[in-house]
Amino acid sequence: MKRETITLMLNGIDDDYISEADVFDPETIQEPPERIVHMKKRIITFALAAALMLALGITAYAIWSIHVARQQELKADLKIEENNVSSYMEYTVPDEQASGLVLLSSVNDGQEQHVYVNISPVTKEEAARFPADVRFVWNVSGTEIGGFAGPQLPVGLSVSGEEAIRDAVLENAYDEESQTMTLQCYIDVNFIEEAMAELGTENVPLQVKMIVGENEPKTFGPVPFSLTEEQTRYFDFGHAIYHDEELNKDIEIVGLELTPFSAVWKVSYEGAEDFHTSGSDQAAYEPWSILEDKVCIETKIIFADGSEFSTGGALTTPYENGIVNQFCGWGSAINIDDVQRIVLGDLVLWEAK
Amino acid sequence: MTDTEIINLFFERSEQAITELAKKHGSAVARVARNILGNEQDTEECVNDTYLGTWNAIPPHKPSPLRTFVCKIARNLATMKYHSNTAEKRNSQYDLALDELEECLSDNGSVEEAYEAKELREAINGFMATLNHFDRFIFMRRYWYSDPVKDIAKMADSTTNSVTVRLFRIREKLRLYLEKEGLLV
Repeated sequence: MKRETITLMLNGIDDDYISEADVFDPETIQEPPERIVHMKKRIITFALAAALMLALGITAYAIWSIHVARQQELKADLKIEENNVSSYMEYTVPDEQASGLVLLSSVNDGQEQHVYVNISPVTKEEAARFPADVRFVWNVSGTEIGGFAGPQLPVGLSVSGEEAIRDAVLENAYDEESQTMTLQCYIDVNFIEEAMAELGTENVPLQVKMIVGENEPKTFGPVPFSLTEEQTRYFDFGHAIYHDEELNKDIEIVGLELTPFSAVWKVSYEGAEDFHTSGSDQAAYEPWSILEDKVCIETKIIFADGSEFSTGGALTTPYENGIVNQFCGWGSAINIDDVQRIVLGDLVLWEAK
Repeated sequence: MTDTEIINLFFERSEQAITELAKKHGSAVARVARNILGNEQDTEECVNDTYLGTWNAIPPHKPSPLRTFVCKIARNLATMKYHSNTAEKRNSQYDLALDELEECLSDNGSVEEAYEAKELREAINGFMATLNHFDRFIFMRRYWYSDPVKDIAKMADSTTNSVTVRLFRIREKLRLYLEKEGLLV
């Protein structure tokens, strides 16, 4: 592509994206948080469903049941049960709440808290305007802390292009009967900690907004939300050294922090501090960058049934106290208690005794 | 003064509108222009042209948010000026940002490029929708606002290296996305 074409393409970026990158400014609306009760698990019975149909009426029951159905779908899609993910938190669906913002489930991967929610009512027309003309944001009411949310699509699904995304959203994340949209809020754990400090409470008022075209945002919630527990297993590699023949460089692989949905590879090498501070020599860093990637991508995590898993490339690589921390994330859970071996080429980093 | 009050001044055709606009959004406008043009003289001209463009556009437009509106005008004017400048005069963050994208998005075909603005717009916005908030933020700061990587790292409370690596991966994603969409051979 020529420079002129690239310029033309960049000139076509929607105003919403330009505005969101200019300044982060989710509107702050002060509303008292509602109270809900959190429970680890919920058993659905026909009797309860029948009682609710009588108590709430058919429409309210349809909304209530889509919350429960989405919880089941999420649990299956994220492979929670088969991988013993104890850090996965499923919320009680309030019987009395027919619309608004409903927390479905949440999991803390150490860096981000993935929060799955339903919002309603969202008309089909509004839902069909995503991604072209609709944005979803979460924020903590009473603060300027917030971020983006997006329709929750199945983990393995890969779509591209506005039409394909719209169709996938309508098929997978939207329920027309109950006018409910299922979203995932991507919440940096640090943001919630900041909000907790600012508001002086562990239960922060979380709300979601839907912005359709030029219209005023539609607000759902707030509901009280608190950080959930992490589930982390640390593998100490005893300062293993990996020598890369091709690059002729040595890298020390210190350890691995593994959660069901993320990993932090801890590595160290000569000059790492310089490369990870501003003004570093990017050309000199390049081979080390390749080696950093190699550790994340080519190391195999092997489970009891012989299956192998790669964490994929790192999303961020902050340097701290002599260590480069390479954060990686993925869609559905792995069983971190079932790891038997961790190997990079011929180098065995860890093995179950 | 609020944006609505500034827009009202434009509607009243009061020259105070320009003063208030400059006071409130002048630094953002200048930053966009400076990042693209790389020199103060061109930047100053571009900023003044942006104010004139805004004066001509409001009314009838009643933009919201105003800042995005004026930054877009500034960027369009600055990129036009950039492309009309001689190669020797080009030396800006915009150059570096375009170099990064051009290198990543180079295709193998020798066919003349004939893209329609509409398909490019749909493709880039479709791609933007696939990014998470943080990636979208750094992509926009680097390639739309043409900010230096070190400034983006500071804004995002991250390191230059981390932002550089992340931008590299976003560019790769963009390349794959455009290939899928048939815009890159």
